[in-house]
Amino acid sequence: MTTQTEAEIFDRGYRRYDGERSGVGTAMRSVWLNSIQRALGLRRKFRFKIVPIVTILLAYIPALAFLGIAVILPSELVGETVDYAGYYGLISISTLLLTAFVGPELLSTDRRTGMFGLYMASPLTRTHYLTAKASALATVLFLVTLMPLLFLLLGYTFVGLGPEGFSNTMILLGRIIAGGLILSSFMTLLGMAAATLTNRQAFASAGIVMTLIASSVLANVMFEVAEVDDAVLLADLGNLPNDAIQRLFKTSEIIDVPSWQSLGALGGVLALLALIVIWGYQRMEVTK
Amino acid sequence: MTQPAAGVAEPPPSVISAAGVTKSWGTNVVFSDLTADVPRGVTGLLGSNGSGKTTLLGMLLGLHEPNSGALTVLGEDPAQAGGDLRQRIGYSPEHHNLPPDIAAHDLVRHVAVIHGLPKREATTRSSDALWLVGLGEERARPVGTMSTGQRQRVKLALAIAHDPALILLDEPTDGLDPVQRDGMLELIRRIGTEFGIDILLSSHLLEEVERIADNVVILNDGRVTASGRIDELRTGQGGMIAVIDNGVEGAIASMERRGLVIRAERDRLRIGGDLPPDKLADAVRDSIAENDATLRRLMPVQQTLEDLFLDEVYGE
Repeated sequence: MTTQTEAEIFDRGYRRYDGERSGVGTAMRSVWLNSIQRALGLRRKFRFKIVPIVTILLAYIPALAFLGIAVILPSELVGETVDYAGYYGLISISTLLLTAFVGPELLSTDRRTGMFGLYMASPLTRTHYLTAKASALATVLFLVTLMPLLFLLLGYTFVGLGPEGFSNTMILLGRIIAGGLILSSFMTLLGMAAATLTNRQAFASAGIVMTLIASSVLANVMFEVAEVDDAVLLADLGNLPNDAIQRLFKTSEIIDVPSWQSLGALGGVLALLALIVIWGYQRMEVTK
Repeated sequence: MTQPAAGVAEPPPSVISAAGVTKSWGTNVVFSDLTADVPRGVTGLLGSNGSGKTTLLGMLLGLHEPNSGALTVLGEDPAQAGGDLRQRIGYSPEHHNLPPDIAAHDLVRHVAVIHGLPKREATTRSSDALWLVGLGEERARPVGTMSTGQRQRVKLALAIAHDPALILLDEPTDGLDPVQRDGMLELIRRIGTEFGIDILLSSHLLEEVERIADNVVILNDGRVTASGRIDELRTGQGGMIAVIDNGVEGAIASMERRGLVIRAERDRLRIGGDLPPDKLADAVRDSIAENDATLRRLMPVQQTLEDLFLDEVYGE
């Protein structure tokens, strides 16, 4: 290693580049890929890999346990325990931890380290940038909201406990993908909205966790103490995507309201979170 | 999607052109009438704090739209051309923050890729750019472990790796010690002259702009108060120095009748006035001839950039 005073400029010449240049799509893909690498701690020191690895592994442990049981126990006993919709409850902690860690890492860090300014001085616009970042965060979240269930479906199918027939398999596959999309979309926008409001990663992470806890406490206290309508439980933000997923899998809903109310509330919250992100980034100064 | 190569077409004679540009942030008027042509080469952008230098760089990148007036960069309207234009521009921001845990080479390569270079080309060129700025041996080091001087060099590598036609440098020597500053200025000059990349250098340090820039744009009070080649501006604005042996009083009286302003400085006269330089010289010559005075020397005053800046900004 040389010090600054020992640094020497070597003349390797300078070549002009006359080849073709790729467009915005390639630039967005590069930001997407770079963000996923950053979120997972790839090409970074080991300490940056610990949280993502642990939280992702946590989401696969129940699936591994269920498949282990399926291999050991007779199939007629195991068949009753197959519950794809119930798996979303088992991954809720992993999903929350991963969102709280990765969301601020992908957005707040860019602003704090000046990367956002460098991106805006490139062919990317704010819309391109946010789309690439949202895609990256959703992709990382798929590792806990989608992949474990696909792994479970594959494993059960392999040991002869999968859905009967091709069409039932496709229906279940569609529900798993849709469930992963609903949960990932909600957590992606929640993570991005929190990260938009502060440059401090710790504050954003705490904000994500506190928002879910506070909304749950508030909704349940109002429901229990004030004895108001079940619709007040729609204010429990953490339950909104799970309720939609339970309805998707046609199991018993979590919140006892008509589907249009539950899905409307989820859509409204998603729109509000997206507006916070767009509003925050529209008024963000770049060259300062 | 691929696009034609940048750098194939020769840039127009004026790299940047502004005509009657206005810009306000709410009630705060940043530019009331910005008019200037920036030719090819290295150009210094001077102005006191708050004069709008950084806002102008943002407008050149198409990040802020003018309220009115016409602005072109490399022959295109930045607000309309947007990303296509930014692909041909390199930008080095003022702040020293860069992602601390990313290796310099990875960072430069990533920025080159988002400017449209194929990954393999970006890998090669980012390595070359880091060698060029003197960080070849350090390219695998995380940026956060580097000194301020090294981070300034990384920013310069970020600006040149994708082979832009124009580079915008915002205070590129900020935080450097004198030795590092010399090295950086030498490097910028070399990029602007040998590599054929046009440079707009925003700085508040007059001495460094004077040292490496061919042209200057001075901003003050929302307007361009002076712009052009530095050597012409220095020569044209300062009047003339005359050394006269005899008939001095008569010559001074004749000059004053012609509206010239005379100030005696030891054995020489400093002559100014509202006339353009060639008319001023004619007036001095005629006044001396009328009085049969003996003229030993007549030369234009060479102002420093500091004199020029103080004249334009503070009217001193």
